[in-house]
Amino acid sequence: MNVTATADKLSIARLRVRPIRIAELSLVAFFAFVTGLPLLFLLGGSFNLAAPGQAALYGVANWARAFNDPTTVNALWMSFLLSGARLIPAVMIAVLFAWLIARTDMPGGNSIEFFCWMAYFIPDFPLTLAWILLLDPNYGLLNTLALKLPFVHTAPFNPYSFWGIVWVHTSTGGIWFKVILLTPVFRRLSAALEEAARVAGATTTAMLWRISVPLLSPMILAVSVLSFIRGLQSFNTELLLGTPAGIYVYSTRIYDYIRREPASYGEATALGSVFIIALGILLFLYWRFLRGKRRFTVVTGQGYSTARVRLGRWRYVASAGCTLYIVIMTLLPLAFLTIGSFMRRYGFFSISSPFTLAHWQDVLSDPIFFLALKNSLLIATITAGVGVALYSIVAYVLVSRRAVVAPVLEALCWLPHILPGILLGLGILWLFLATPLRFVFYGTTWGIALALMVSDSPVTTQAFRAGYLQLGADLEEAARVAGASWGYTYRRILLPLLAPIAGAIGLMNFGGALTSISTPVLLYSHQSRPLAILMLEYSVTGELERGAVLGLLITAIICVMMLIGRRLGLQLSGQQ
Amino acid sequence: MRPFVILLMALLWSAPVLAQSRAGEKEWNTIIEGAKKEGKLVVAGSPDPVMRNEIIPKFKERYGIPIEFIAGRSSEISARIKTERGSGIYSVDVYLSGPDTTATTLYGEKMIDPLKPLLIMPEVADGTKWKLGKIWFADPEERFAVRGFSSVATLLFINTDQVKPDEMRSAKDLLNPKWRGKISTEDPTTTGSGANSAARFYHDLGEDFVRKLYIEQKTVRTRERRQMSDWLARGTQPICLSCREDDVRPLIKEGFKILEIFELADMPGSINGSPWMLTLANRAPNPNAAQLFANWILSKEGLGIYARGYGSVSMRTDIDETNLNPGNIPKKGVKYFDDTDWKWIVTGRQEYREKVWQVLKTAK
Repeated sequence: MNVTATADKLSIARLRVRPIRIAELSLVAFFAFVTGLPLLFLLGGSFNLAAPGQAALYGVANWARAFNDPTTVNALWMSFLLSGARLIPAVMIAVLFAWLIARTDMPGGNSIEFFCWMAYFIPDFPLTLAWILLLDPNYGLLNTLALKLPFVHTAPFNPYSFWGIVWVHTSTGGIWFKVILLTPVFRRLSAALEEAARVAGATTTAMLWRISVPLLSPMILAVSVLSFIRGLQSFNTELLLGTPAGIYVYSTRIYDYIRREPASYGEATALGSVFIIALGILLFLYWRFLRGKRRFTVVTGQGYSTARVRLGRWRYVASAGCTLYIVIMTLLPLAFLTIGSFMRRYGFFSISSPFTLAHWQDVLSDPIFFLALKNSLLIATITAGVGVALYSIVAYVLVSRRAVVAPVLEALCWLPHILPGILLGLGILWLFLATPLRFVFYGTTWGIALALMVSDSPVTTQAFRAGYLQLGADLEEAARVAGASWGYTYRRILLPLLAPIAGAIGLMNFGGALTSISTPVLLYSHQSRPLAILMLEYSVTGELERGAVLGLLITAIICVMMLIGRRLGLQLSGQQ
Repeated sequence: MRPFVILLMALLWSAPVLAQSRAGEKEWNTIIEGAKKEGKLVVAGSPDPVMRNEIIPKFKERYGIPIEFIAGRSSEISARIKTERGSGIYSVDVYLSGPDTTATTLYGEKMIDPLKPLLIMPEVADGTKWKLGKIWFADPEERFAVRGFSSVATLLFINTDQVKPDEMRSAKDLLNPKWRGKISTEDPTTTGSGANSAARFYHDLGEDFVRKLYIEQKTVRTRERRQMSDWLARGTQPICLSCREDDVRPLIKEGFKILEIFELADMPGSINGSPWMLTLANRAPNPNAAQLFANWILSKEGLGIYARGYGSVSMRTDIDETNLNPGNIPKKGVKYFDDTDWKWIVTGRQEYREKVWQVLKTAK
């Protein structure tokens, strides 16, 4: 009888475990296919020295050539310096913003959050040009005004410098990306812990530093890792501001190899391997820190309070500070960007009749604009919707104690982050063409959406993971005890609690899909051409004014989606 | 009787000519019909407003065939097409590409078919319509790559509010310490017009000149073409080595005092084949449409659109050049440096670019 009872328990245990095991292995297989295979293709290609059309000949010459270049090491060091220099203040400012918006009674929090979102989606290229108009040492508006002061004899601002690059990055996506991801997790923080700290005599600052930040460290660290790697890969701003000053970054070297004729993808991939090493080290430290899930749980079955921290008179100071920061860092260059879109020549106020509607008319009357817009909206919707559903499940598997190969799955989800967009696009192109996938995906909006979803995997997975870490296991256990299936629990308990994160990530991916150029450029066809290709054309042909128009239109679309998404998210989470 | 014999002989003499003409017309009509049946044409090239705004509508209007234009940077297009071909997909009919892509990738990797036997449109096949007496095939076999343009390139631009024309008579004038930090160029350390200019300087004037110009003169580099022309107009960098004519000419029209310099005393003018070379993809999915387009784009109508759109000097004799900048029109009897010469593209230019990169990257 004992043997039978034991056998019955084992078979029940196997039945209980099987769905998670199936999900886990299926996801590993899927991501090994869509992220692992393209990377293997790129790495394999980097060791192939044969000329195109000839039999493969393997060796390390591409790698040797890439790393023997004397400028490579300098560029790598510069990238680390720039990424590090802007990471620390950016994280501090982003944490402060997120806390003020989500946890305090600061007035205007909703509006400030809205502007943070809007700021994130303004394309950084035209925004950088706007900063040049403001800060150029020879004709920048702010320098011109400053030089009128009696005690100012030389132009105080110069964007063509190390700190100029850091400054511009703090106004483009860098900080806002972190605010967008941190605000929902701050919102989920239970006020009970803050109340307990206050009763124990802690000041607001101590509470933030000793309670809130440690509890949210998974997300803060994830965001920091993502941002640091992103910083290493950043190069648009560095191209504009760094080249005149002789500042070259690592991604510029990769970009140079890709631009050659014929393109040197072997050397570019070899250089990209540095990101694998950087990511590997950071992930190792990240995982060590995260060992032990219960330290970060804030939402349990025992009640949950969302009361806000009262700042007293300081709330007006906080509101004014945040507003001033947004005005200086975003609205000022945005105003120049908007003005530029109505100028005959961007930044030239002295020419006759400097303003015109012609660029807006040209863009809106372009025969491919509305088709490209339709394609882009479709691609963005698929990317956001399917991505949220898929990665919420991936993140669930990652935090599940029952998952066995979670580290493998997580590593596969991080892989797209180490590849520059054009290399990722090339890898996925190969994947489509080398498999039966090409009949379904190649040249279609679904194919572009799949590629963009793959590129979103690190951010989306980590955001959901941090969200799950905040939820106590007792919530799921209570549902199971009450007889709910996993699907029911996911839909009725987990998803509503994760709605703010799901909404934030969905919108972020939606906006990213609208603006991404490097991934779709290899995958589109005439029928699936997105707006990104139009942006590429304006960039290559130097039509800055039309590029500004398109950037503003995309920002406006995302603002509308934001308002809709926010309303839906609040309804889903049961908030007003 | 005699008039009858003369008439008979005239008929006998003209019959083969007429028959040939009718056969050619029949063949041409067959191609048009075949192209219409194929229903579309796929062209690959760099982002090109003239293609999108004028060529595509005009071709559709003329023949009823829509063009799908796959645009991207040349390295991206090459990577995509090579990967497609490796998987047995042949999606492109015609390439309109720069000389580097044409010579090193398309021709070098045998991705194109001979174009010469397919150019049968009477106004294209007629040698009298071309300045050289024939179509200019740029490749060594003279069969694959057509060069439809040859314009004198602007060597450099100066803002005459800061730089007097007399102060820029020879390349050595660029080394005047007065211009330190006042010269801009597209970044010569990467592939592009900046590197091409630097290669030309190295070829004509040597390593020492390149070192002095790009390093000691603290030439300001950028990768954004509009930055150079804006600096030129504002006078912050009143000398521009690799500004684009289509960026600068609108500024000249606005009244900015900018002068185009086409040659210097120690550096003769150069010509180039911008904006593209024409080639036919091999295993084109729409061969009739491809042949139709190739003929049409080389006709007076097709080349004329590009000549007006880019201000380029075509190789045809029947396109109006009165609207072009006279400085861009090659003068008879003048020997120019041909920046689009095939041999220069395939060997010389790359070799000199590498030399320039060695100088610039190892400099402190």
